[in-house]
Amino acid sequence: MPQAVPNTEKLDEHLLEVVRALHGAVKQGVSHKEDPKIMDKAIHDSKDILDVIMAGNVKEWLN
Amino acid sequence: MFTDKIELKDFDKMDPEYKDLLGHVLTIQADCEIGGPHLYVETMLPAAPTKLDQLIVARTAAEEIDHFRKIARVAGDIGVDVSFVLSQPNEKRFVDSFRGLITTWEDNAVFGFLIDRVGRYQLEEFYDCSYLPLQRILPDIVTEELGHIEYGYNKTLELIVSGDEGKAKAQKAVDCWYVRALDMFGRADSKKSERYRHWGLKRRTNQQAREDYMNEVGPILKQIGLTVPDPNKGRRYM
Repeated sequence: MPQAVPNTEKLDEHLLEVVRALHGAVKQGVSHKEDPKIMDKAIHDSKDILDVIMAGNVKEWLN
Repeated sequence: MFTDKIELKDFDKMDPEYKDLLGHVLTIQADCEIGGPHLYVETMLPAAPTKLDQLIVARTAAEEIDHFRKIARVAGDIGVDVSFVLSQPNEKRFVDSFRGLITTWEDNAVFGFLIDRVGRYQLEEFYDCSYLPLQRILPDIVTEELGHIEYGYNKTLELIVSGDEGKAKAQKAVDCWYVRALDMFGRADSKKSERYRHWGLKRRTNQQAREDYMNEVGPILKQIGLTVPDPNKGRRYM
């Protein structure tokens, strides 16, 4: 078997959590289309999550 | 032509060229997956025309991050670290289309319509490929890419039917992204492309894939009342 990159599994698990959290936020907003407050909160939550991923500080995520 | 199917446990036995090519293509694919959100999240998440569109921007980014995750896992398992692309500045992306920022809604729409479609083509190259762990992650990724393409198409269509101004914006965006899309397939005489095919990692030559794309997109553009840009004008890779 090849030698895997250290933290491969940890990064995979972290990103999976991020993706699930994002989908959760989006779903919350989409399922309350008639309620602008809930939509705004969902957009805000999504932005908070995405800002961390876009910053790309991988070492911080895995520590 | 190599026709065997390779599992992770067989990887160490493979020819160094195979290992290099697989690692290289996984790195580029990972860069393209995360490169998309880096183009539009900052600008389009706050600026999409409706709250629902804002949330769809976030959902699209979530799906692309998940695609990155899956590719990174396949790469990491064979010892190829692609995590550096998570913090790579846009101007250093492997593929030109992912450099810079998307700053208008029409560019965001056409990006989904045309560039995510190239993404689908690139992923389809791995259908029935020789590396089975890569083959296995494709169906879900391609299904999600199809959703991005459809959304981009629908938003482009909305612009066109909104009136002359919207149609002109859509055409301008198509003029910009169509040429970039064609360049994404790489040079027609690429030697590396031949080696990918030799090792069963890709199915078509760069030129075959590009022509298939043009044959698919051209009629769609005409059908929605847009002009197909000159495929030779402004190209960087012929």
